[in-house]
Amino acid sequence: MILEALIGFTFLAALVVMLAPNAWAGRLAFALSAVPFVGSLYLWSRFDAVGNALTGGTIAFESRYEWVEVGGRTVSWFVGLDGISLPLVVLTTFLVPLAILSAWTPVDSRQSQFYGLMLFMEANLLGVFTALDFFLWFVFWEAVLVPMYFLIGIWGGPRRKYAAIKFFVYTNAASLLMFIGFMSLTFALGDSIGSLALPEITQALADGGLETWFGISPGRMAMVAFLATFAGFAVKVPIVPFHTWLPDAHVEAPTPVSVLLAGVLLKMGTYALLRFNFTMLPDQASALAIPIAAIAVISVVYGAMLALAQKDLKRIVAYSSVSSMGYVILGLVVFTEYGVGGATFQMVAHGLISGLMFMAVGVVYNATHTRMVGDMAGMADRMPVTVGILVAGAFGYMGLPLMAGFAGEFFIFVGAFGAPALPYAPVFTALAMFGIVIVAGYLLSAMQKTLFGPFRLETDYEIGPAPFHDVAPLAVLLAAIIVLGVAPDIFFEMIRDAAMPVVEGVSVDV
Amino acid sequence: MVDAFAYVPAVVLLPFFSFLVALGAGKYLPKGGAFGGVAATAGSFLLSLWVAATVAGGRAYNETLYTWAAGDQFELTFGALIDPLSALMLVIVTLVALLVHVFSLGYMNDEGETGLPRYYAGLGLFTASMLGFVVADNLLMAFMFFELVGLCSYLLIGFHFREPGPPSAAKKAFLVTRFGDYFFLVGVVAVFATFGTAAFAGEGSFPALAEAALAGSGDVWTPGGLGVETWFTVVGLLVLGGVVGKSAQFPLHTWLPDAMEGPTPVSALIHAATMVAAGVYLVARMYGFYALTPTTLAVIAFIGGFTALFAATMGVVKDELKQVLAYSTISQYGYMMLALGAGGYVAAVFHLTTHAFFKALLFLGAGSVIIAMHHNEDMWDMGGLKAKMPVTYYTFLAGSLALAGIFPFAGFWSKDEVLYEALVHGLNEPLLLGGYVMGLLAVPVTAFYTFRMVFLTFHGEPRSATARDPEPVRWNVKGPLTVLGSLAVVTGFINMVPVQKVLGLEGIDYLHRWLDNEWGGIDGLSSHHYADLGPYSSGYIGGGEVPTVLVGAAVSLGLALAGLGLAWRLYNVASPTEHTAKLGGIKDVLYNNYYLDELQVWIAYRTEDVAGGADTFDQGIIDGVVNGVSSVSLLGGNRVRRIQTGLVTQYATMLTLGLIALLVVLGVNGGWFL
Amino acid sequence: MVPAQWYLLLAAGIFCIGLFGVLTRNDALYFLMSVELMMNAANINFVAFSLYYGDLTGQVFALFVIALAAAEVAIGIGIILVLYRNFGDIDVTVPTEMRW
Repeated sequence: MILEALIGFTFLAALVVMLAPNAWAGRLAFALSAVPFVGSLYLWSRFDAVGNALTGGTIAFESRYEWVEVGGRTVSWFVGLDGISLPLVVLTTFLVPLAILSAWTPVDSRQSQFYGLMLFMEANLLGVFTALDFFLWFVFWEAVLVPMYFLIGIWGGPRRKYAAIKFFVYTNAASLLMFIGFMSLTFALGDSIGSLALPEITQALADGGLETWFGISPGRMAMVAFLATFAGFAVKVPIVPFHTWLPDAHVEAPTPVSVLLAGVLLKMGTYALLRFNFTMLPDQASALAIPIAAIAVISVVYGAMLALAQKDLKRIVAYSSVSSMGYVILGLVVFTEYGVGGATFQMVAHGLISGLMFMAVGVVYNATHTRMVGDMAGMADRMPVTVGILVAGAFGYMGLPLMAGFAGEFFIFVGAFGAPALPYAPVFTALAMFGIVIVAGYLLSAMQKTLFGPFRLETDYEIGPAPFHDVAPLAVLLAAIIVLGVAPDIFFEMIRDAAMPVVEGVSVDV
Repeated sequence: MVDAFAYVPAVVLLPFFSFLVALGAGKYLPKGGAFGGVAATAGSFLLSLWVAATVAGGRAYNETLYTWAAGDQFELTFGALIDPLSALMLVIVTLVALLVHVFSLGYMNDEGETGLPRYYAGLGLFTASMLGFVVADNLLMAFMFFELVGLCSYLLIGFHFREPGPPSAAKKAFLVTRFGDYFFLVGVVAVFATFGTAAFAGEGSFPALAEAALAGSGDVWTPGGLGVETWFTVVGLLVLGGVVGKSAQFPLHTWLPDAMEGPTPVSALIHAATMVAAGVYLVARMYGFYALTPTTLAVIAFIGGFTALFAATMGVVKDELKQVLAYSTISQYGYMMLALGAGGYVAAVFHLTTHAFFKALLFLGAGSVIIAMHHNEDMWDMGGLKAKMPVTYYTFLAGSLALAGIFPFAGFWSKDEVLYEALVHGLNEPLLLGGYVMGLLAVPVTAFYTFRMVFLTFHGEPRSATARDPEPVRWNVKGPLTVLGSLAVVTGFINMVPVQKVLGLEGIDYLHRWLDNEWGGIDGLSSHHYADLGPYSSGYIGGGEVPTVLVGAAVSLGLALAGLGLAWRLYNVASPTEHTAKLGGIKDVLYNNYYLDELQVWIAYRTEDVAGGADTFDQGIIDGVVNGVSSVSLLGGNRVRRIQTGLVTQYATMLTLGLIALLVVLGVNGGWFL
Repeated sequence: MVPAQWYLLLAAGIFCIGLFGVLTRNDALYFLMSVELMMNAANINFVAFSLYYGDLTGQVFALFVIALAAAEVAIGIGIILVLYRNFGDIDVTVPTEMRW
């Protein structure tokens, strides 16, 4: 019941904040959003799952109620956690209060609706990461888009409508593709499943339950479903060439929304890839290992090159997210303990680091009202603490050891280099690793131009240090990044435990 | 008795705490947190001495202390490896760091710099990272601290961030070394994939496994059925990438001269004991692996010899005190690489040791001069400082004599041994002999630019108002100079191999015995073992060891004296003039560092062009397709909606037609018309 | 008993007359009357089949359709009144505001 309480409370909190007066909606939302965080810490402390929830491992906080029955398939309210979803739940509940805090300064109209939508989104995100029934999961998955659409479309920048519609239509069309692909898979499973519960589907697929359906052979069905779901999730991640909605959405979105978009929403895509494509259809994934690894490498290098060409700080961070997500895909496709585990770890690490970067850029933007690299210089002189944390975050992004990003990236690299499941693994890995040089190149030169040197910015007001409630979330995030970097095992241990069944699910001739 | 090895983590953590203290509370502490740093490094120094004494007492230490990530595939751990090499390095690093901290009191605090907490925090973190690197017991831990050292160099080189130059230099330093570290990281990952471990020492360490695999008795992973030896060579070269970057070897040396933008004590720390030394130390640390692959050794030797000569030539024309020292650093690390490549493990460590002291001395001496000159670094504005600042002059002179390799100063002994190793092993190896020749040619050039610098700075008549009335320096500057000055004179005596060989005095090659685990150490990490692994055989000139030693020493000393003499002739006059014009076109080439910086800038710009092209492609083609899909649907909708005429009759007609069409279809299907 | 075909033919005939009226007339009142004709054609079918199969459901449906037709006339007349008030005419081709 605890998961229901968590999600339900967040929905209620969203409703309460929606009805609260604008003047103190921000404070109320922050206070209320602290409750799910505490709740997730409690979940963490009581976490006792072993193995992967989909492949027959024990599920923590499992709760299942039958809902309806359609065409011989039971649809149920089925939630639970394992070592892959718990870190993401903790990440979500951790980031939302901080994002709400970072919204206090920039959001100055219709606050109650803004914070209400943020909490509504959090509730749905928690649903996505906890749901273990396909139908339930899909409802949450789609429901995340709605608050996001309004958050970008109402509180965004000058081209917010374009960005919001592009985001919504693009990801929604992708979801449709994924939905069709996955539903046909469940139909082709015929009588071997009696519900849409993900563990049951996984089990049925592993047992070879696919039947010929409308003349489509099981092998082809699995491959088509793999491609459809992969493409659908690839948009969400995003992977090149489905990434173009991301920079637009980020640039137009207000800071706190960017934080959640980069920090949690992108992880929905990689989480779903791991859960659906790589756990349920490992043989298809392994058959397509080379093309998938190739687009992972292209995402890394091409995303980094695009970031190098940008002049807008937010666009830089947005494109570097594309680059970082490429590592995750590489980690997944190699099917090794460190590869899959590292990919999951990297989801959390990147969530924290990109959240920090967007937040820090947002704090600078609050003061400067411009994000263009050429418009400002020497910001370190006026906002030393903010800039200090921004620099630390940038080094985290570059994969500085003893920060979370390095742990994630190194796990992926060390898992990928000698991976038997991926032909030419050393070549792909070495190419992808070159991303760490390019990321250093663009972040360092952007920092040099904007943060250092003699101060220059034309404003008709004085720029001073940022207020405490802007800096505090930055410091908290930085601390979390360092803690995870020094002791990755606090998450990696459970992640590894849940990732091992996925790795063992693939049949590779070693 | 309390075990010194239990305090090894404290050696690393003490400076780290001083970092935390300076960062968190430096604002409220006297001197911006300097005393915390001094106390911490002094504590580390004392602990290091104790650790070294324990090693001398016949013990060593190799323990895993912390599990970073405990996978089934690989265990990623942190640990400490204390053997003669790391104990020696600990002493060097902590001593130089301590002296730099003390010197900073004079250079930073007395000069009224702002941002001191940040400065001392940076120094503390820098020292801690380097010490962590030194004690690292595996390649991954070494890489992590190696990177942190890079971060600290970024922070300290860019200390004066309000000016345009330092941030740019800091960026360059980090980026160029990052480029090298990329290869290093690939190497680390490859080592894990190949051996399943990255430990430096012990039965299951990767050098031991590599040795076994080459002997045909081990099973290691290689990609794509590559031969074991080829693959080891590739791995060795990959790791070497990081070394070339950090130790500023050709072609990744360009960051180092720019790094002079940092405060001078930082330069001393970077060049003498920490960042640049890290690269060479890494090769020495995993020498058991490098010794297995002759190709890698030859590459190391050749890069080293080439860099030694190449950097020395650039030092000849520089006008700024610190620039000359920067190029001398690159050149000297080239010698160490030459020694390592030539199988002279002890020689390299020896030169690393002496160089740490005399280069720290020279930088701190330069710092003293810079204080006196009110931060004017141009040597042509100096002159005649000898009389005004005798302590600085005599210590600086000792350092210069050591750098130039003049008997009996420290540099003579170590450089001589480097060249000797290259010679005796090179007589049978043409590539190595090439390295030797370049190293030998660099000797007179080194002596020349060193004494050009000394004469221009201290001798002759003062050439500016500040030089006539320099600012005095205090104890906190003179103290470290004196300590290092004495060390620059005496350090060479720890390893007087030529004397031993010529006079037949057994046992005065203390460093050889130290590194050969004579007092204590870890099996497989001794210089003897490395020599057994190495591919080289020795050749001698004149039929024996003694003549070879004598000839080698005489040639290098003669060349050094020749260089010194030329500098004396040209610059030890009352009012020296620039002679660089005589070099003609070469001068421009040298002055512009062989246009390598331009080349790297060009590469950077071309990369940006490619990035711009990618951006255009992305916006135009990929996003164009996305927007195209939406435009097509909008346009299509625009056309299709024309059938909505608003005339009810037409709608009704369509309805009817639709019904009829449906009926016809059903009819055809139902077979009505057959 | 009259065969079902005759009822069907009659209903089809009436339906076509109504359809013809809808398609050719511009006057809204004619429209309304034509629609009534079409509905009554359907009613005939309902009643005929009801009789034919001996099932009362068809007749019940016919009653429903008659009620619906009454309601439709009420709304239709209302629309025509509004049309007249706004356009001064009851020609259905004049109000084309709602196109595209």
